[in-house]
Amino acid sequence: MVATILRIIFRRLLVAVPMMLVVSMMIFVVLRLLPADPLAMSLPPNATTAEAEAMRAALGLDRPVAEQYLIWLGHLLQGDLGRSIQFRQSVSSLIATTLPATIELVISALVTGIALGIAGGLVMFHVRGTRKEPMADLASTVLMSIPEFLWAIFLILGFGVALDLLPFIGRIAPDYTVVRRSGFLLLDTLLAGQLAAFLDALTHMILPTLALALALAPLIMRVLRSSLLETILEDYITMARLRGLSERRILIWHALKNAALPTLSLIGVQAGFLFGGTLLVEVIYSYPGLGNMMVEAVRNQDLPIVQGVALTYCLVVLLLNAMVDIAYLVLNPRLRPQ
Amino acid sequence: MSREPVAGIRLRRSLRSGRVLVGGGIVLLVLFAALFAPWLAPHDPGEQDLLANLLPPAFLAGGDTAHLLGTDSLGRDILSRLIYGARVAMVVAIFAAFFAMLLGGAMALIAGYFGGRIDWLISRAVDAWMSFPPVILSVILMVGLGVGLFKVVLAIVLVDWTRFCRVVRSEVLVVVSKDYIAAARLVGFTDRQVILREVLPAVLPLMITLLSLEMGIAVIVEAILSFVGLSVGANIPAWGVMIADARNYMYQSTWSLILPVLAIFITVLGFNLLGDGLRRTLDPRLLQDRRVEA
Repeated sequence: MVATILRIIFRRLLVAVPMMLVVSMMIFVVLRLLPADPLAMSLPPNATTAEAEAMRAALGLDRPVAEQYLIWLGHLLQGDLGRSIQFRQSVSSLIATTLPATIELVISALVTGIALGIAGGLVMFHVRGTRKEPMADLASTVLMSIPEFLWAIFLILGFGVALDLLPFIGRIAPDYTVVRRSGFLLLDTLLAGQLAAFLDALTHMILPTLALALALAPLIMRVLRSSLLETILEDYITMARLRGLSERRILIWHALKNAALPTLSLIGVQAGFLFGGTLLVEVIYSYPGLGNMMVEAVRNQDLPIVQGVALTYCLVVLLLNAMVDIAYLVLNPRLRPQ
Repeated sequence: MSREPVAGIRLRRSLRSGRVLVGGGIVLLVLFAALFAPWLAPHDPGEQDLLANLLPPAFLAGGDTAHLLGTDSLGRDILSRLIYGARVAMVVAIFAAFFAMLLGGAMALIAGYFGGRIDWLISRAVDAWMSFPPVILSVILMVGLGVGLFKVVLAIVLVDWTRFCRVVRSEVLVVVSKDYIAAARLVGFTDRQVILREVLPAVLPLMITLLSLEMGIAVIVEAILSFVGLSVGANIPAWGVMIADARNYMYQSTWSLILPVLAIFITVLGFNLLGDGLRRTLDPRLLQDRRVEA
């Protein structure tokens, strides 16, 4: 059993490798379309032609694009993503400082969004065939029309500006100093025993988390509802009814478990979208994560950061998808290779 | 059996659906605003009046009837900017979604009809594309292409063709296995004839539904890009730009932030209601499901 699962994991991760290569090539090519000369951004304005040529050679920009890609890839495999033009710091260390913030946000948003989605799906299933159904249907269409960045603004206006209940700038109030261990603020504050700082970080996460979760939940809600509608017609549900089990018990213990699979594969796809959605939510909440850094880098034409961050996004999405696929295979015995 | 009556029945059924009517109505209204912006807008959208900046809407205390929905931080008329902003939104929605459908649909027909290696290649390309979060890919594309209306459309087409391709391909696979496709081949139709005359009409309802939903997505993506300053030039009024500007003044003037947000929400809702209504009335499988449920 364990050996089979390990083989599944290994095979699935193997598929991700060529995919990552293709993706890295795409990023490289797209960013080489850039009309601006990357050289101009990394030199002082009074540089001489000789200095420019030396820099061009040092950056490998005088060689053909294919060769440039291979050089970049070679460095990449050693964990070297180049140096940021504006910060004069290695891109990989910049990513290492911002990635945990984004991952923390994604995890809390996924958990919240899935919980809200399942609850909503059960409610929609519960009202099927009643007069409330068209209302619930319409509500779900309305909810689906609000993307995360609109939620972000609504929530700021409501809870931040009007009610003044929750903070909406940054990750933690500036009066706390937290020793950095893992980069995950919630974890670091707990490890250091700073309860007040932990609570402050937690309240800072509520609004951005909700913005992302509220955009995710309606999709889960709909898929869960329709797969519950299908599952409920299966013979084993009828059998369970004949055995005299209560409707609630059938729904939770039999139907929900089996309806979870299509929902799971949707979550896999949506996790990638949600991860991309953090870009704007982070900008709106001035949340110091990957997205904020990327938008900042775009504004300053800091190409190495844009490239490195884009690659990191794709890597995380590929890993997320692989994880969901693996969970899918492990949970569904019918799909396991014999 | 000719196809005309079926299409007619579907069309009439669609027009009776509340969602299609409301959604279509909203979309037509926004389209109308976009087309006739110069006549509808009370002011020039770029005209600044620094003495009358951050005015609230006319119906609130301190409002001025000259600016029905108030003014922004530079004293520009918000109503006029919203009306002109509809132009960017609609141009992007219509062109980006249409060309994404064309590219994605064509790929899907080729992959699903011919199968084998072509299918493998196209499907893997879609997989690779989809490992980019769409927002990230469109940001990179805009960095590479540079700003401008045409480039936003191009970026959205290049990002979103995969949505069409993946969904339509699986539908094509179902259609291709049907007997009438085999019959058409036996009668001596060429591949092109089979695809265009038999397969395409069968997947068209699905494509139209997706088109409507994609238009909503395109509006959102354009707003995101213009919010981070990667869409149209800074002097062209777009809803995302309005949100980005108003965010800096949200304590002084909430309305200048709420109004463009509402404009995006209502437009996207219109496309989604339309798409949802079309799906319910056009998708034959869904109608069958209904019958089973009933």
